[in-house]
Amino acid sequence: MTNINGKAYAMNAITPMKPWKTPLLRLFFFVLGAIKPLQADLKNLSFIHFARWVIVGRNQFPLLSDKQPREELRYDYLIFFSNFNGTWNQYIDAFSAVLSRGLNLIWRWSEKFPGSTPVTPFKGYIQRVQFDTDYYYNCYPKAATNDVKAALRVQDALNDFAKTSQSLSPVEFEKAYLEFLARVQPDLGSTGIAPVGT
Amino acid sequence: MANESGQVYGLTILSPIIEDERLDIDHTTQLRWYLATLPRDDTSPFAKVSSTYLARLVVLDDVVFVGKPACEEHLKSRYLIFETNFDGDLDTYLRRMASEVGEFVDAVWKHCVGYPGVGNSDAFVAYMKKCQLKTTFFFADVNDRTVTDTLRALQTQSALTHFIERNQGKPPAEIQKLFGIFLERLKSAPAPLPGGRADEKSVTEGRPHD
Amino acid sequence: MIRTDNTKIDVSDIQGFALKGYNFPHARFLLLELLHCKDAQSFLLKLLPDITTGGKWDEKPLTTLNIAFTQQGLVKLELPLATLLSFPLEFQQGMKARRLILYDTGKNDPANWDAVWREERVHVWLAVYAQGLPALEDTCARILQIMEHTHGAKLLQAQDACSIYLNNQPTSYEHFGYRDGFGNPDFKGAERECVPGQGKLAKDGSWEALATGEFLLGYADEAGELPVAPIPHLLARNGTFMVYRKMHQNVAAFRKYLEEKGKLYSGGKEKLASKFVGRWRDGTPVELSPEGEDKSIVADDNRNTNFTYGNDLGGLRCPIGAHIRRANPRDAFGFNGQLINRRRIMRRGLPYGQYVPDGQPVNDQDERGIIFMALNASLFRQFEFVQQQWIEYGNDAHQGNDKDLLTGNHAGKSRFVVQGTVDAKNPAFICAQLPNFVELRGGDYFFMPSLTALQMIASGTVDPR
Repeated sequence: MTNINGKAYAMNAITPMKPWKTPLLRLFFFVLGAIKPLQADLKNLSFIHFARWVIVGRNQFPLLSDKQPREELRYDYLIFFSNFNGTWNQYIDAFSAVLSRGLNLIWRWSEKFPGSTPVTPFKGYIQRVQFDTDYYYNCYPKAATNDVKAALRVQDALNDFAKTSQSLSPVEFEKAYLEFLARVQPDLGSTGIAPVGT
Repeated sequence: MANESGQVYGLTILSPIIEDERLDIDHTTQLRWYLATLPRDDTSPFAKVSSTYLARLVVLDDVVFVGKPACEEHLKSRYLIFETNFDGDLDTYLRRMASEVGEFVDAVWKHCVGYPGVGNSDAFVAYMKKCQLKTTFFFADVNDRTVTDTLRALQTQSALTHFIERNQGKPPAEIQKLFGIFLERLKSAPAPLPGGRADEKSVTEGRPHD
Repeated sequence: MIRTDNTKIDVSDIQGFALKGYNFPHARFLLLELLHCKDAQSFLLKLLPDITTGGKWDEKPLTTLNIAFTQQGLVKLELPLATLLSFPLEFQQGMKARRLILYDTGKNDPANWDAVWREERVHVWLAVYAQGLPALEDTCARILQIMEHTHGAKLLQAQDACSIYLNNQPTSYEHFGYRDGFGNPDFKGAERECVPGQGKLAKDGSWEALATGEFLLGYADEAGELPVAPIPHLLARNGTFMVYRKMHQNVAAFRKYLEEKGKLYSGGKEKLASKFVGRWRDGTPVELSPEGEDKSIVADDNRNTNFTYGNDLGGLRCPIGAHIRRANPRDAFGFNGQLINRRRIMRRGLPYGQYVPDGQPVNDQDERGIIFMALNASLFRQFEFVQQQWIEYGNDAHQGNDKDLLTGNHAGKSRFVVQGTVDAKNPAFICAQLPNFVELRGGDYFFMPSLTALQMIASGTVDPR
């Protein structure tokens, strides 16, 4: 399925917004960027590699030739792109359970958004506004974002330890190696193929 | 800058697709077929533009009608969306696309209005920037490393776990010596290539550092 | 009618198996194939008065009787098509068709299952629990008589299960030598007292009962809506879904592995065994007592399940990948446990096969293991999710692709990290080359209807709306 590459799922969603509501959303995102509570929660949920929201105003669809008809739209559009780990259901369940306020503040300006709780009508809405990916590339398909972060921590620990490991006495080395193990031990999970999408 | 987070750039390109009634098979369909057969593993063109983390190409047929009382409306053209996340700056990335995978870029964007081709990389960069959408909010879980750093780290993680398990319980002096050898081997190991391997669906026998 | 006050549920309409663990030492699961709709209905009508409900017992009965159906069973009973199609997708497909999701591949592949499960002919699960064997035989004989008399069903297999007896007393131990049966979830309306640690975490750190709708259809669930349920409402209400898995245990392989690795592990064999599971073999939770067993904790229901992982995110006491921590992460994922509340299952398992004490030779070709049964309102969201994401995979626990050591389908590749400290007497330790300690021999998904629904099914009075 082309929405999936390895452990990553490429979700695309487009929702219409009445133009007078768009500045409210921009304001929310601006505040979000400044205060960072949603960013902290997103990092703690830890299953998104990269995500972005793009507001395409009704006059902002690129017009590159006079042979191309100009769009005449009533709504602005919010396009959402996510690169996340886990199944579709798991992802939405988690968001609905712990980030519902943040989700509401982003999507309440979109027409007919039912709210992010309870979860079943929310999933129904997403199904209606989601559109599928034609081509998806993943540089590390066997690694979820957790794996990536763990690996980077391990690399950093190894770089630190490598500086002195060979120049220590065996007694010093034993102590340093134990400290090194204690530092890397939470991050030694294996990488591999993702569970089947459901 | 809303398009960037740390070292990572989030590029969103929206390119109108040529509508030509004279064609039997229109541009959108041709494009979709091409994308359906493009390899998605380490032979992908994006593996060559190796600063790419995750990238997608999506045909946007139309906007969505969410139901009354919302109004129904339609786009007059179809659009190709290119969403990519890479490390480094935009100009370098675009120029790499033009010079390293020009054939692929042409094969995709030739279906789009006003596309000048990769022959003139200035014109190509200008075209892409004309189609670029400004990201309103960009989230990157990891934004302070390059793709190469990340792939090396994953290789390290796997190799190190294997080392620890194989040598646990040995006397410290021996581990120290073996660890020195391990570090050398790791340093001289070739950098792992981006993208999945074609045979990864049948991972039944693990390679030693898998 | 949808109850808004969820603290009272209609216990006399709900089958007892769904509401309480009977704690009877003997059980026989009669796996039946239904032959003709009318005969099957007569059979069910005759069984109806004996079905054990959730009502309070003045005196414990000698035996209990409960019943559940696979989708194929409901098809045979000629429920209306619209009703059949309204059952959740995973139930309609049956467990065998879900094998890729559940990682029932390789050694656990249906090709290796007992014939009765491989052939997918099981329509009815009839469970007889008994305090003693004579009563069990009596009840089963009676049922078989009714079966013969009505021609309603054919017995495909009788699966016996039995508590492990130690010192002539029935216990809740299982074949690997661990005391089992802790931590079943509390939910609103259930008869028994809330036991600290079994429910969900409230914001102030106390424990609350979970929403009834996580375990019974027709009641609000943790997401604040009614769980997906078949129509008509009366058919679904007070019913639930059950998964049945016959899990063969390779006791010899387990003991061998523990012996070998126990020699290398600094804390020794029993401590390593406690790290695998998150409980010492006697049931002491490692989180509360990481250095040794503690009978006083085990004996105290206010303590034996009353712990969280918030102060042990590094896994120094209870390893991050330990079995009970995978099956119920509590607060380990942050967000005050909210990501866990819709992933709980109610377990009712019982061992089968002869118990061989530690030290005596044991043969993994013998029939020995656990009949794993779990109840939940949604197989997809609860059991299947825990199995796929937390047992056979480790990403949510930040353990990558690592699987649960005890029950995972390792296929020779998996590993388990026991986190340690900087003390040379307690370093990190990695268990690799894990064999499959458990192998799946069959099972399926069942619908356990209420008494009202059972009456409707038995008298052919189910209308889709």
